Amino acid sequence: MLNKFIIVGLALPALLLPGACLAYILFKGLPALSWSFLFSATEGTGFGATSGILAQLLGSLLLALAAILLATPFALGTALYYRLYASKRQQGLLAGLLNMLQSIPPIVFGLFGLIVFVHLLQWGVSLLSGAVILAMVIMPMLVLNSIASLERVPEQYTEAAQSLGLHHSAVIGRVWLVQAWPGILTGQLLGIARALSETAPILFTATVFSGVVWPESIFSPVTTLQTHIFYLAQEGSNQQVIQVAWGSAVVLLGVVAGFALLARCLSNRYEKTQRLGVE
Amino acid sequence: MLRFWLTFSALTTALVIATLLGFLLQASWPLLQSQGLSFVTEPEWYPYEALYGLLPVLVGSFWSIVLALLLAVPTGLAAAILCAELLPGRGRAVLRFSMELMAGIPSVVYGLLGLWLLLPLLESQFDLLTGRSLLAAGLLLALMILPTIMVFSETAIRAVVAEQRQTAMLLGLDWPTRLLRVLLPQAWPGIRIAILLALGRAMGETVAVMLVVGSLDRLPQPLYNLLQPAQTLTSRIGREMAEAAVGSVHWAALIASGLTLALVAMALSLLIQRWR
Amino acid sequence: MVPQPKIIESAFSLGQSEPVALQVQGLNLVLAGTLVLDGIEIELAQTGITTLIGPSGAGKSTLLRCINGLHQNWQGQIELTGQDVHRWQGGWDQLRRHVGLIAQKPCVFPQSIRANVVFGVQGWRQRRRADGLVEEVLRQAALWDEVSGRLMASAETLSLGQQQRLCIARALAIKPGLLLLDEPTASLDPRSKQLIEQSIKSLAESMPVLCVTHDLEQARRLGGQVVFMCDGKVIEQADCESFFQRPQRLESREFLSWKVCEC
Repeated sequence: MLNKFIIVGLALPALLLPGACLAYILFKGLPALSWSFLFSATEGTGFGATSGILAQLLGSLLLALAAILLATPFALGTALYYRLYASKRQQGLLAGLLNMLQSIPPIVFGLFGLIVFVHLLQWGVSLLSGAVILAMVIMPMLVLNSIASLERVPEQYTEAAQSLGLHHSAVIGRVWLVQAWPGILTGQLLGIARALSETAPILFTATVFSGVVWPESIFSPVTTLQTHIFYLAQEGSNQQVIQVAWGSAVVLLGVVAGFALLARCLSNRYEKTQRLGVE
Repeated sequence: MLRFWLTFSALTTALVIATLLGFLLQASWPLLQSQGLSFVTEPEWYPYEALYGLLPVLVGSFWSIVLALLLAVPTGLAAAILCAELLPGRGRAVLRFSMELMAGIPSVVYGLLGLWLLLPLLESQFDLLTGRSLLAAGLLLALMILPTIMVFSETAIRAVVAEQRQTAMLLGLDWPTRLLRVLLPQAWPGIRIAILLALGRAMGETVAVMLVVGSLDRLPQPLYNLLQPAQTLTSRIGREMAEAAVGSVHWAALIASGLTLALVAMALSLLIQRWR
Repeated sequence: MVPQPKIIESAFSLGQSEPVALQVQGLNLVLAGTLVLDGIEIELAQTGITTLIGPSGAGKSTLLRCINGLHQNWQGQIELTGQDVHRWQGGWDQLRRHVGLIAQKPCVFPQSIRANVVFGVQGWRQRRRADGLVEEVLRQAALWDEVSGRLMASAETLSLGQQQRLCIARALAIKPGLLLLDEPTASLDPRSKQLIEQSIKSLAESMPVLCVTHDLEQARRLGGQVVFMCDGKVIEQADCESFFQRPQRLESREFLSWKVCEC
């Protein structure tokens, strides 16, 4: 009995902290939320203290979407290669490389992007630079997820389709993707959630603090919620600034949670149908 | 056509790693040329006097990570044991869900918590001029890696096969003994991986640390003083990214720091894969 | 039309002018270190049933998969209508359209019955316009009467026996030149068994059919040629009557009297 108390005692922070953190964030941030806060853009030259975060919200979404669009063809292609053409050795190698890529801290990608995209290729601090960097950050996750989804397609389907003489592309398109698309899409949604949370790599490669409502082209900088919060945190001694920062934090949390929830719903809905189908 | 797309995609992974390391290496070459590898142990980082030591940040990263692990591992493990063994189904789902929720909070938001909640707390508790310190960084990192440790350990403990639990019970072992002599040893490989993953996360965390660590490139005086402002590898990169003049030796030193971080992280990943 | 009785000792004893439907010579296959097929020699005429029998693990299913190209790293020679499979026009995909394979466990796609039948037909326009084909093959597979009213229902609502007949219809829809069946009626109800056997017999009047079966009674009922395999080798190939009444080899006699085969 004594031991159980020790365990519970040690575990207490883990039990209380999640709720406490969330409660605190909401407590600080919810008062800042208002219609104008969410849906108007920054005006004037203040530190964003008297204005809305529409630009930042759109910027975050734009960057995340761009990253997904860039990463998906490569991620899907790699997963299909893994499943279709790779030998056992190649599969092991690929998995190893993906895990290594996944372990590299995002800030290093930011540094890389700074050297190559911002300066070498002269794209400057831009949406494109940020999108490519984020695409690199989320790609391993997308690939590993797609591979797992493809592996859940029963082998018999593949054999039956091949026995009918279907080409590789038909097997992929009419059997594999038809079966695996919920899992792959779930991975995409989680990828978007991840891209929305990354701050360090885009700090000096894609974003500026103010002056941008909507980027003029892919070569212009954007402003995002994540980096906005960061900039405000650095300036924050002013009560209003603090409040805007918390409000932005709540909005960011909401958007990230939204995508994660969507992913969860999608996987729940389709996992069930799939299991029944296979039986 | 299809084959081309697929093969090309598969090559991009290797390509990205190779290009990454390649460019980082190339950009840090000026520093390596002028100082060789001694910059790793150089104790001063003072760009204005061409001193590019890595030691302060290595010590800083070390302390913050160790502190984070010391705090998070016991708690995370205890929570995992609680979740896997002691809680009823409902409680288990709630706890797991709350951990996944925590894992999803963006690091910049944790940074806010650290900056405006944790720092004032530390300042009042320890009577400091500023709460920015390795202690703050360690505490914040502990908070951030807790979900990782808990979720992965819980999976490992639950994976211990039912037969082994039953056998232990049949041998008349009571719960604490079962835990210590059967469950934990069996789950240890998975728990070990959980800790390494958490270590990797703590090592790579940038934004939250940047806000609370103080950004002072100096070895702690004395070496174990965690209450002074300091600098970690990631916070230095984050801070100086905007300031270093492109192409200068300062720039090269910065890139070298990034390269070090990347190499250590990849080595850690290889270790994790080995142990899987 | 009853196929001529013959005991094949060498594949070259056949002196016909038209090419045989299937000719396998010296087929060897090693899987995971073990010799699974050892010097297989088989011939199939242009029409008629050939049943492939033998104990479990004899390599029967593996042989089928070599013929239709799902296994590709075998040594030896396989020729279909005189064409070497390695040099088949259009590659392995086209080969598999010539050889229809029905697996042991019916595998229907989670789509409508009609979609399943036309699954192998190339081109979505052709698939849309294939109503006549759908009816024709479903009749050949003895399934038309049961599903004609609900072609758009999900194929998964069919019973196992119906699903297997659906798989047969699906394979027939791509107009194969050779039909391979891997224990098609294992674990099916007697009625489905009967219907499928009838289908096979009528199909065999116009195309070569190679059917693996564990059921000796079924092999008897199907008639035609019998090929007895054991441990990856062809032990005996003979006419149905001759094999069951006057088995030439010791192993065949032992197998038929239910003894464990020790080839």
